[in-house]
Amino acid sequence: MYNYVVRRVGFMAVTLFFVTLIAFAVTNILPGDVALLILGPNATEQSLEALQSQLGLNRPLYVQYIDWVVGLIQGNMGESLRFGEPVAQLIAERLPRSLMLAFAATFIAVVLSVPLGVYAAINQNEAPDVTASMFAFVGISMPIFLWGLVFILVFAVWLNLFPTGGYVSPSEDLVGSLTRLALPAGAMGFALTAYIMRMTRSSMLEVLSEEYINLARAKGMSQRVIVLRHALKNAIIPVITVIAFQFSYAFGGVVVLEEVFFWPGIGKLTLTAIQSRDIPLIQGCIVVVALIYMFSNFAADLLYAYFDPRIRYGGDD
Amino acid sequence: MSAHTTATESEQSDGPLLDVRGLKTEFRTDSGPIVASNEVSFSLDRGETMGLVGESGAGKSVTARSVMRLIDSPGEITGGQVVFNGEDLLQKSDAEMRDIRGNRIAMIPQDPMSSLNPVMTVGEQIIETIRRHQDVSKSEARELAIESMDDVGIPDAAERIDDYPHEFSGGMRQRVLVAIGFSCEPDLIIADEPTTALDVTTQAKILDLLNEMQEREGTAVLMITHNLGVVAQTCDHVGVMYAGNLVETAELGDLFARPRHPYTRALIDSIPEVDTDYDELPTLDGAMPDLGSLPSGCNFAPRCPHATEACRTGGDPTLDSVGDTTSRAACIHADSLDLSESTVPEVGVGRSDIDRSGEPLFEVHNLKKYFSAGDGVFGNVHLSFGDGGLPTIERRYVKAVDDVSFDVYPGETVGLVGESGCGKSTVARTALRLLEPTEGEVFFEGQPLHELGSTEVRSLRREMQMIFQDPQSSLNPRKTVGQIVGRAMEKHDIATGEEKRERVGDLLERVGLSRNAASKYPHEFSGGQQQRVAIAHALAVEPKLIVCDEPVSALDVSVQAQILNLLNEIQADENISYLFISHNIGVIRHICDRVAVMYLGKIAEFGNIDDVFSPPFHPYTESLLSAVPHANPNRETDRILLEGSVPSPINPPSGCPFQTRCPKKIGDVCETEFPELEAMDQSGHFISCHLSEAEMSERESFITPPKRTETNAADSD
Ligand SMILES: Nc1ncnc2c1ncn2[C@@H]1O[C@H](COP(=O)(O)OP(=O)(O)OP(=O)(O)O)[C@@H](O)[C@H]1O
Ligand code: SF4
Ligand code: SF4
Ligand SMILES: [Mg+2]
Repeated sequence: MYNYVVRRVGFMAVTLFFVTLIAFAVTNILPGDVALLILGPNATEQSLEALQSQLGLNRPLYVQYIDWVVGLIQGNMGESLRFGEPVAQLIAERLPRSLMLAFAATFIAVVLSVPLGVYAAINQNEAPDVTASMFAFVGISMPIFLWGLVFILVFAVWLNLFPTGGYVSPSEDLVGSLTRLALPAGAMGFALTAYIMRMTRSSMLEVLSEEYINLARAKGMSQRVIVLRHALKNAIIPVITVIAFQFSYAFGGVVVLEEVFFWPGIGKLTLTAIQSRDIPLIQGCIVVVALIYMFSNFAADLLYAYFDPRIRYGGDD
Repeated sequence: MSAHTTATESEQSDGPLLDVRGLKTEFRTDSGPIVASNEVSFSLDRGETMGLVGESGAGKSVTARSVMRLIDSPGEITGGQVVFNGEDLLQKSDAEMRDIRGNRIAMIPQDPMSSLNPVMTVGEQIIETIRRHQDVSKSEARELAIESMDDVGIPDAAERIDDYPHEFSGGMRQRVLVAIGFSCEPDLIIADEPTTALDVTTQAKILDLLNEMQEREGTAVLMITHNLGVVAQTCDHVGVMYAGNLVETAELGDLFARPRHPYTRALIDSIPEVDTDYDELPTLDGAMPDLGSLPSGCNFAPRCPHATEACRTGGDPTLDSVGDTTSRAACIHADSLDLSESTVPEVGVGRSDIDRSGEPLFEVHNLKKYFSAGDGVFGNVHLSFGDGGLPTIERRYVKAVDDVSFDVYPGETVGLVGESGCGKSTVARTALRLLEPTEGEVFFEGQPLHELGSTEVRSLRREMQMIFQDPQSSLNPRKTVGQIVGRAMEKHDIATGEEKRERVGDLLERVGLSRNAASKYPHEFSGGQQQRVAIAHALAVEPKLIVCDEPVSALDVSVQAQILNLLNEIQADENISYLFISHNIGVIRHICDRVAVMYLGKIAEFGNIDDVFSPPFHPYTESLLSAVPHANPNRETDRILLEGSVPSPINPPSGCPFQTRCPKKIGDVCETEFPELEAMDQSGHFISCHLSEAEMSERESFITPPKRTETNAADSD
């Protein structure tokens, strides 16, 4: 296990290096001169040059890159051109809101989909299974923002149960915060449910046909024990990876859904940054989102190892 | 006193322990119902062992699972009775059945690798069985579980109880399964191929264990197997199944001495026995009919050498007593047929002499293949903590093949034999450069394969073909057989167009298929036929050497005999050489001219087949050969059971690789000095052991049947 973690951390460090490289390269290759963007089309040649040297933009690219990375390591991500505030501070403010949304969505999805998947598997090809599969198919076929609109229409406009959008900090008003979280998290969770359910179902079906399930039956175990103790514990292992991927996916969905629900998270921040060519902010957002992806996958691997004794001990025998 | 008698009375009824009457189990399939177990009747007394044998798909497992009522949809038990302890199990509720399973009737499954739950410790899996059926506390159950692990010979049971299945070897896992089976002291154990997935040496130990447990607990065993050797070693009486029917039941001795059904005779005859020379194995032509379309007369008629018109028209014969014997057979001629004589000629004319005066076709010198152990970014680098807590980095290798040398002459078959994981397949793959050798030299017709570039190797590959264990995975399912075989000819410019088609047809006939098989797809053939296609594919490029990696291990004995005969025939015609890998000693003995016995990546013994099977023996060869179960209930071999299991090839023992298990180990010299292969005589018999020749010659030959030594010693020239 120790070796395994060491190996994974090393792997992440390498990945992160490439992410910074790409984030830096892409934003620098992007057409459009930053100085020109800041000063507007009427700026003079001299003032452009002066600003460029002030921002350090006329130094060689590798120097700029090293500078930026050293800053990153020290927690200094530069200053936003659009907001004139430190990028780190902007992100620190928005990120928890997005994480809250993504976690809530994943939580809802798991709570709904795993039991449904198990239920569908043990009733394979019968009414409950067919219904659940159809439901999953519909869930997968619609894009996330559409679910957002449907949820607003049904729960906010027609039923008037929740507000249509906005954000309130949970430390200020817990109930208000949760009612505003409910719709975006529900919509996204609902969209994710389909994938996880299908994965749980097929994984359960595979495990249920294993020899050891056969033996468990031959030992006189009840159906409940076989499903929960023998099958689910095995079947959940591949599902965990899917859940982690879905969390990353949820994070991507956040970008769209935050727009729909007026949720001031990192998704909205990234959109603003791109629209205004705010290069330091774009770079900061890319690195942070990549970190989130990497950590959710790392968490998945650790959970995987926790559940699968073959990996848990495999690293150092 | 009286309490005791009533207890036994309520438990035991007068009749047999298990009485199966007219059991019928059907499966609904797209092409109509299949009767996998058709009016099967047999009975089993307390403490007895009954064998159930027959070809794959004959219905053995279905019958056994029906007894436990473990038949899943689309299957259904549609008739009969399963009377167990005087009660019909088919009348019981599901809950009552669950109380019986694992408790009164337990199962030992075939595959130790897949039958234990990988995410539960072995202890949890034993304890849950005990707690399910006995009213004991958690800690009491744990004590019982440790005791049962002790009983089946798992060392340090108290420590190992919390280990996961993957931390046990295959043989140890099978012991865990035996422990689970016996944990509630059942009256009946159903063992479905309990040793098929194991090596001979492990198989012998598990069979001994089963016997011992059975005697101690007085348990009855229903032993399902396709291995008549296992039957001969363990059973009191036997049932033979064919196409869903029980076609013969008999006492063990009678079954072998005087089979009453022609199918039984054929089954016995098609096993290559270690102590017999054959030119050709008697085969059972054709295949078991599809259960969906059975012939109108006797099911066996299309393959039966004694079939008459009455057999083909009279309907399927029922299982009836034969004369006044205890045997029953489903054959209308059972009373008149005398099947006591084997159809195998006793002694063959001997194998053709191989001319080894010229150059060998294929030569391997000091071949080594190390795989790096480990995976991931840091590869095989392994971090370990020394005494001082300081991490040290080491590189680790699996020494799959470690210094192996042998040669193969034209027209010769050289065998590689040994337990699983000893490196047999890796030797073959590395020698053919399908894997890059770590070290060593390989010559093909004098050309140094190890020095050639990959394009040159590819053109030489035409001369060296390979046949694998699983024909299905080596044949492209989307190509017709004609395309598969023809493509090989085109690739190596042997024939194209009309000529190619002609030759493909000839080849298919050569391997015993019809010409129009060319237009069919691999899945339309049975396993044996697919192996024939694979052979045709290998022959298509007219190779000089074919490497056969367990080519008959996945096949039924009758089909196995057909394929072995075919390989022998082709060799006689074309003077092809084979490098033949198998863990089946009988097969090796039958087909090979010379054999290398491998242990832990090294050759322990090498020589002519007769020399290796006769003294002097390497201690490992001796135990391997002694462990082979003979399909002859009268034959007693004094078996040497090896302790422990094969050590890890990452950390092989110092000195002699076999020293950790060797029953004849001398002492320090075995632990410190590697025994080089040493010539025993002029005939090219080599053994790697520190013992003297006399010490290695204490046992008699395995190939001289006892009766021949008595009468005539001149036979063995
Ligand atoms: N689930 C199933 N659905 C349809 N047919 C089945 C099913 N299980 C078994 N059968 C059929 O029942 C017949 C008997 O199968 P069974 O497994 O009992 O054979 P067996 O004698 O145990 O063979 P083997 O030696 O290969 O284990 C076969 O024709 C098989 O195809
Ligand atoms: S009934 Fe006829 S065909 Fe069937 S086994 Fe007997 S002799 Fe052969
Ligand atoms: S060298 Fe020693 S340990 Fe090895 S086989 Fe011979 S006697 Fe046994
Ligand atoms: Mg079977």
